[in-house]
Amino acid sequence: MSECRRTVERLAPWAEDSLPASERAEVDRHLSACPPCRIAADSERAGRQILRACADRLRNEPLPPGLRTRCEALAREQVRPARPGWLRALAPVTIIAILLVFTASTLFSLATRRSDALLAAQLTADHVKCFTMFDSAGAPPVDARVTERQLSDSYGWNVRVPPSAPQAGVQLVGARRCLYADGSIPHVMYHVNGEQVSLFMLEGVERPPADVALLGHRSQIWSSGGTTYVLVSSASAGNTAAIANYMRYVMQDAH
Amino acid sequence: MLRRHQPPDPDAFRAEVLTFLEPLYGTAMRLTRNRADAEDLVQDTLVKAFRFSDRFAAGTNLRAWLYTILHNTWRNRRRDEARGNVDVDSDRVEQAAAGPYSATTGDTPERILMRSTLDADLQAALDALPDAFRQAVWLRDVEEFSYAEIAGMLDIPIGTVMSRISRGRRLLFERLNPERGTAPLHAGSGG
Repeated sequence: MSECRRTVERLAPWAEDSLPASERAEVDRHLSACPPCRIAADSERAGRQILRACADRLRNEPLPPGLRTRCEALAREQVRPARPGWLRALAPVTIIAILLVFTASTLFSLATRRSDALLAAQLTADHVKCFTMFDSAGAPPVDARVTERQLSDSYGWNVRVPPSAPQAGVQLVGARRCLYADGSIPHVMYHVNGEQVSLFMLEGVERPPADVALLGHRSQIWSSGGTTYVLVSSASAGNTAAIANYMRYVMQDAH
Repeated sequence: MLRRHQPPDPDAFRAEVLTFLEPLYGTAMRLTRNRADAEDLVQDTLVKAFRFSDRFAAGTNLRAWLYTILHNTWRNRRRDEARGNVDVDSDRVEQAAAGPYSATTGDTPERILMRSTLDADLQAALDALPDAFRQAVWLRDVEEFSYAEIAGMLDIPIGTVMSRISRGRRLLFERLNPERGTAPLHAGSGG
């Protein structure tokens, strides 16, 4: 092995002053006799020093608004099954807090079940939020099988994602996890002939079909196979119904 | 190989994971180079950390464990998107990283260092590095992980970690100082 190569291979620890003394002397000897290696070594040390000098500022990138709240919500969702004796360990105030949260979320769920408008309003808000934050214009279409695998790997959801249909102008652009009522649900995002379209899936919920116009968007609600689907779009009523029909057709095909 | 670990206390575990949010997001920003993907990556990392908390050995390095999940998640996503780092070790990238440097300038690295380097310039220079070098140099010089920890996170041998760190540092410095000119790859020849 050439001496230059041996030297360059040891530059990482050399630049950190962490080479053993004997090896360091060897590297220093070569550097004093080989100007190109000396320059490489100086560049390397300077690169390291710049990063170390700025490390604190680089590391502490300010969090975007809402990320901490969302992550805290994720942490709360992951509460493990109760262990024996856990009630005894809980302070009374914690029990009251849990009861309050439980009651509020149950009432909210019941209200959601009763009210198509409330369901549509919440999911329309998620639709607008996710497209504002996560939609990258001009991004390539996403493969439905890959998206299904991601939803399964990341969240344990085994759902069917309707694929892109170029001839109908339907382009799958991604899938996310949205917080909803007292849990979270899959949110699949599409572009359909220039319109932003969301498909939400509420597993284990059955409700009668509905068509709701709200907040400048239309929500088509239907149930199939024990899951309620909500399609939210800013397209016209006719176009929204047509897109919903496509999704329904693909879903039925899957069953 | 899956070992049985003493499960961490769930509340303490979740609280401690959340203390690493800012550095995880900072690293996610450097990996993804855009805010929406970085937010997504951090949230995915946390979901996995909470779900697989029983695989974490209480009392060991939680930070390194979280960074490993973050990098695995990012790697899987890149692979799924079929635009993974297949050409990371290609000749083109190696050459790009090996050069440029020059013996002709009178400016010493120390003097250049003394000039104030704007964070924005530094971030731009970091973001312009090839992914493999950016990850390695970031984990070592910003996050201060050991070579062995980085090798575990990136799933590459320690020798490769060191060479990527080296090349990343040099390339970064040269990106910040383009007036230093270019020279051919030196390390592989002569001696």
